[in-house]
Amino acid sequence: MNSREMILARLRSNRPDPDVYLLPDIAILGDQDRSRARFETSLAGMGGAVLERQGEETLAAAVARRFPDAKIICSAVPDYEGTLHIEDVTSPQQAAETDVMVVRAPFGIAETGSVFLSEAQLNHLNSAAHLAQHLVVILSEQNITANMHTAYTERQEFHTAHYGVLMSGPSATADIQGVLIRGAQGVRSLSVWWE
Amino acid sequence: MKVKPVNHAKAAEVFLQDEPHLKFHDERLWDMRQKRDQQMHILPEWQELRARASEIKEHTLAHLPEYLEQFEANAKKNGIHVHWAADAGEHNRIAGEILEKHRAKSLIKSKSMVTEECDMRGYLEPRGITVTETDLGERIQQLDNQMPSHVVVPAVHKLIPDVAKVFAENYQTDPNERDPHALAEAQREAARPVILSADAGMTGGNFLVAETGTFVVCTNEGNADLSSTVTGLHIATLGIERIIPRMADLGVFVRLLSRSALGSPITQYTTHFRGPQKGGEMHVILVDNGRSQRLGMDDFWTSLKCIRCGACMNTCPVYRRSGGLSYGAVYSGPIGSILDPTFNERKYSTLPFASTMNGSCTNVCPVKINIHEQLYKWRRVLAEHHEIPFVKRELMRMAGRIMGKPVLYRAAINSTNAALGNLPRVALYNWMNPWGKNRELPPAAKQSFHSWYKENRLKKEKA
Amino acid sequence: MKIGLFIPCYIDAFYPGAGIATLELLEKLGQDVDYPLNQTCCGQPMANSGCNSDAAGAEDLFVKNFAQYDVIVMPSGSCAHHVRDNFDAIPQSEAVTHVRQNTYELVEFLHDVLKVDAFPWAEFPHRVGLHNSCGTLRSLRTASMSELGEPFFSKPMDLLQKVKGISFAKPSRPDECCGFGGTFSVTEEAVSARMGLDKVTDHYNAGAEYIVSADTSCMMHQEGCAKRAAVPVRFIHIAEILNGARS
Repeated sequence: MNSREMILARLRSNRPDPDVYLLPDIAILGDQDRSRARFETSLAGMGGAVLERQGEETLAAAVARRFPDAKIICSAVPDYEGTLHIEDVTSPQQAAETDVMVVRAPFGIAETGSVFLSEAQLNHLNSAAHLAQHLVVILSEQNITANMHTAYTERQEFHTAHYGVLMSGPSATADIQGVLIRGAQGVRSLSVWWE
Repeated sequence: MKVKPVNHAKAAEVFLQDEPHLKFHDERLWDMRQKRDQQMHILPEWQELRARASEIKEHTLAHLPEYLEQFEANAKKNGIHVHWAADAGEHNRIAGEILEKHRAKSLIKSKSMVTEECDMRGYLEPRGITVTETDLGERIQQLDNQMPSHVVVPAVHKLIPDVAKVFAENYQTDPNERDPHALAEAQREAARPVILSADAGMTGGNFLVAETGTFVVCTNEGNADLSSTVTGLHIATLGIERIIPRMADLGVFVRLLSRSALGSPITQYTTHFRGPQKGGEMHVILVDNGRSQRLGMDDFWTSLKCIRCGACMNTCPVYRRSGGLSYGAVYSGPIGSILDPTFNERKYSTLPFASTMNGSCTNVCPVKINIHEQLYKWRRVLAEHHEIPFVKRELMRMAGRIMGKPVLYRAAINSTNAALGNLPRVALYNWMNPWGKNRELPPAAKQSFHSWYKENRLKKEKA
Repeated sequence: MKIGLFIPCYIDAFYPGAGIATLELLEKLGQDVDYPLNQTCCGQPMANSGCNSDAAGAEDLFVKNFAQYDVIVMPSGSCAHHVRDNFDAIPQSEAVTHVRQNTYELVEFLHDVLKVDAFPWAEFPHRVGLHNSCGTLRSLRTASMSELGEPFFSKPMDLLQKVKGISFAKPSRPDECCGFGGTFSVTEEAVSARMGLDKVTDHYNAGAEYIVSADTSCMMHQEGCAKRAAVPVRFIHIAEILNGARS
């Protein structure tokens, strides 16, 4: 008997009575507010920011204003140029040179200020979202879901993506004497641009 | 040779002698507990979430074979290689073989309690594989050659100067560096080239989803996403109890996990892996290592509900004042004290006694494990298996004898030798001796209640 | 209603005042109270150490002593918790079940059964810090628990608020265990003593002149820690205050 069979057999003989322990219905609990305001409050709580549009400025202008020293701006969206496009990035090593990465999220979650990214948004170079120094995420107010329950029940991406990350603010750590540091191993900042 | 039981009391005594470390450790973990409370107060549905999480887990554990098979089938359909490891040795062999097949010499990994449980680094490194922990706290512990002292914050027992010293020795940074930002930056700078040149990546995982063949990794630093996506090879190791039935069930667990652990509404990264990257390879190792046996233990199987949030450690007044390393085990604190004896009953026989059984752990547990009641039950099991110290055993036998006989009891209260029987008085006093080390003895009473009652109530009645 | 009074061993030997106050208070409230002279212990020390079979003699005797009473009252939360929740070293006969179901810790008996609404004789012109033992708090549930976020309630506080002149200090970690833990206090001496010191310091810093509790075992430990470290706080059982002690 191989390990698989052995483990399964042992589980079958050792488990508590399956008929006693029923599976509860799917839970849709909590605040159902899916407003932009709630999303922004949550995002700020996680250390993320909104890249505010000043006047009539374009995304390009806003990125240039926010990151004046950025040399390599990698775009993963068709409607924004950057200095190079993600299709021209061929390796994680090359992606690691990126100062600012611009990407469009299919949805966000108001409860946590999270944005979802998968291989569909990253041209299958998933590491690019984490190797860049800064991340700018384009999000539409129409695509905010209320909370984790609604996200998992409404969004098909969880059933289709091979790689799907909910990013909630930038990378962070508090492993050195409890001091919160934003920008640990992944992106140093995460900004949301409303479209 | 018989294994010696872990001496938690002695290790804790050493920990308590260092006031600055003690003070920080207690306050930092208490602050995490306070932040957890704040999150609870924000959500009116908190107790319902806990109840549902517990129900889902209990259901899943009772249907574990079916859900694991469902997970396996779905994961395979999506192109994931699924392996089954009966024990730590098999887990390490499987991981080693995958790496060997890819001629991988450098492995980057994110935090995984299961790989700690299996001592995987100890297996791979002699075989010529360099393993680099990429989580900051875990990396500090790796460089300092210590086990993680906490399941969520592995280096929480260290202060800035401790980290500065470890980094100075390994990263050639200033040993007097006192800015934690600079130290964290040093780790980022040191880790990046290792990450970019690694041959393989490894992660643990928080959840397996049967319905979709997905596994989920929750982290804050972004290191797990780097470890899993930069190289073409991703190996994930998860305990078989990590499974939940449906994608929608994640809503319940993700909402509870980081709120219970750190008091943040969600981890910075919640990553769902459902299949390999384009051109890449993905492996999942499902680890038993004692779990299927634990499932058969009537009083203890619900400990398998644990989602490793560490809330029980943060709230535990004993853990906060003794430090995770004092438990001498991969899993420390209250949850560790009920899990560890299932790995080695003699070695960890002392841990269920390293508790006042105050019950705070049970109250904060997001999946409602009755931790303090299991501690109580473990004490019984250990006494029945003769895994408690001889003197304590004999004292309890003697106490039981005295308490069953009013005459002997009266003699003992009146401090006469008559009650003590065969046990020399010195044994009792030696055992009781520690009381007076940092405490005064209770005041001597002029008269026992019993004698007062006889004088003031019975005599009056007669009169 | 015939009450059987149980006085735990450490109160009998070291703190008879708490026992006397309990008896006198119940008498003042018009209750018919008996103290069976052959009583010893509820069995908790042995059971908590894992040596459950060694608790059988004590449990057996406890039932013999108390089965004849309508209710059993004791000024100790941890003993009441043992009898109610863990008392299983002996076969669960009808008498055992009767005893277990009718055992009350003093505060819950006054609050829930007698529903006492006044202690006209009681006056305590001091600032007190209330220590809820873990047995009363998380097992007998005589007060709300901070970990659950439930609405505030406190049976001991309800009773103490009926005492003239009393005021309350608010410690920063009101639910934190004081570290007594039975044999834990000697087998884990260092941690236990530190927890005790932290506990009394927390109360003292909050302005408590007295620490009041329904559990003498916790206070025996805390008093020992306070005395050694010269923390100038005094200790009193809740029964003594409710019975009219002035200091």
